[in-house]
Amino acid sequence: MKTGIKIALSVAMLASLSFGGEQFAMSDADRAMYAEMSENNPADIMVADGEELLGYMGGDEGLAKYLGVSEDDLPTYIAGFPRYIKKFDMVVGIDQMIQAMMADGGHKPLKLKSGNMFSLLAYVKSIANGEKINIDVNANPQMKEAYALGEKTFMTKRGGRGLSCNSCHSPDVVGRVLRTQPLPDLGANGAKAAATWPAYRMTKSSLRTMQRRFQGCMKNALLKVIPIGSKEMVALEVYLTDKAKGSEISIPGLKR
Amino acid sequence: MAERKSLIKIKPKRYKDGEIVKVSFMVMHPMDTGMGKDKKTKKIIPAKYINSVKFVYNGKEITHMNVWESLSVNPVFTIYMKVNGKGKLVVTYTDNTGEVHEKSKKIKPRG
Amino acid sequence: MQRRDFFKKLGTATAIAAVVPTMSFAAGDSKPTGPNKMDYQTALNAITGGKTPVKSDKVKLKTPEIAENGAVVPVTVTVDSPMTPSNYVKAIHILNGKNSNARCIDVFLTPANGKAMFSTRIKLGGTQNVTAVVELSDGTFLIASQSVKVTIGGCG
Ligand code: HEC
Repeated sequence: MKTGIKIALSVAMLASLSFGGEQFAMSDADRAMYAEMSENNPADIMVADGEELLGYMGGDEGLAKYLGVSEDDLPTYIAGFPRYIKKFDMVVGIDQMIQAMMADGGHKPLKLKSGNMFSLLAYVKSIANGEKINIDVNANPQMKEAYALGEKTFMTKRGGRGLSCNSCHSPDVVGRVLRTQPLPDLGANGAKAAATWPAYRMTKSSLRTMQRRFQGCMKNALLKVIPIGSKEMVALEVYLTDKAKGSEISIPGLKR
Repeated sequence: MAERKSLIKIKPKRYKDGEIVKVSFMVMHPMDTGMGKDKKTKKIIPAKYINSVKFVYNGKEITHMNVWESLSVNPVFTIYMKVNGKGKLVVTYTDNTGEVHEKSKKIKPRG
Repeated sequence: MQRRDFFKKLGTATAIAAVVPTMSFAAGDSKPTGPNKMDYQTALNAITGGKTPVKSDKVKLKTPEIAENGAVVPVTVTVDSPMTPSNYVKAIHILNGKNSNARCIDVFLTPANGKAMFSTRIKLGGTQNVTAVVELSDGTFLIASQSVKVTIGGCG
């Protein structure tokens, strides 16, 4: 059955999927040079900007206070998102916590898909740089539920080509080349995806978040695009963050 | 008029007087060549690129650059600089449409 | 819809303060506004004043052999130089071989740099040479070149 999928996939993808304008993989030889580039990741500008924006809301100290942890514990706490937050009775991402903090502080919350929110999210997550992802998907029934929904969303075939995320990101197909782009392993053994987003995407010349990246894949693979911050999106993030559990957070990432 | 965001990064973060440090100036700028077309309107996007960059440290110009449109979007300019006392590093750029932008960073050698 | 519910009950107050913009427009500027055209040889002559640059391993040019994205090609030029007032690198120029304007950047250094290095990222519209031309304080020109294969062009 697995082989069946593999074959169907490679045929479908090679024959017809078009990733307009994004067709080439980074060659191994030059990957190192591009990796060096992350020393001056253009997204550093946005991270600095996010820091400035958070400054208007009390900075790290204000954030820690809002989250109900000490400043010392802040990095570890951030490394555990998405989390179930009792006050909202929801599993939420860091960006939603930032929205809540803005609202509670009397500010108009930024839209989750806005550039400033991406910058804020990138900065806040970068506070946890060097920490290992410590999400606990068994912490409570709500997290268990989110994980299950994330897995389901990841596995469910949808859209015109009947593809699921798993079609392209299951361990069986990892490393296969889709129009010269190697399919990345999203877990701790591969792209450590959750530990490296938000990231600067060179092909987009901008800072993108993980949920925004999911949307990119959905669009490319003709799956209906799910809104950022929706229950399914957060659940997907929970599922993939768990896959990268134990990976060291390093924000901003630098992606093709 | 879009606001520009820029950043000056110094490596290493802590440095001593007399040390040679790496200085990067990064800015969000479209660096349009004047040859690209807008995907939607099909109209040519007019040229808009940084054409000069200057690094001034405590009033003394240490490096200046003439820049053309072949630099990447959101460009970065990295040089070395010898730390020579406390003060300020000011990076200024202009672009071909007359935009001027300035960013500064305190220079604080330790020990 | 979950998302909207999240903040439904909350009022809106002051918007978050924007980062202060730091730009202004200078009037009557006569700098170039359109795409520039200059071929490699003309550009090289303009830089060296017709002198022939000497190939030198004092100049290290680091750029990928295969750039998978022509829009972002890292380039670093390092020159072996004491950077003293009597012997320093005056300028590092980066040229491309085939974009419609061969000039990428001229970097004028001083002894205050301490080390002669410049690093940036350039766009390449296709496979071509990237060249570094270095002017020393004694008026000599050095040169180093490398071919970069580009799989997607960088000039849209
Ligand atoms: C048609 C195949 C395909 C499908 C379906 C697909 N992806 Fe992808 N995905 C890719 C490719 C190819 C890349 C790498 C692109 C690149 O190198 O820029 C990628 C990259 C990613 C990344 C970034 C990995 C990194 O480097 O950090 C994430 C996260 C991701 N996909 C998640 C998803 C999710 C979630 C779904 C389902 C909604 C999905 N993908 C569906 C092909 C696919």
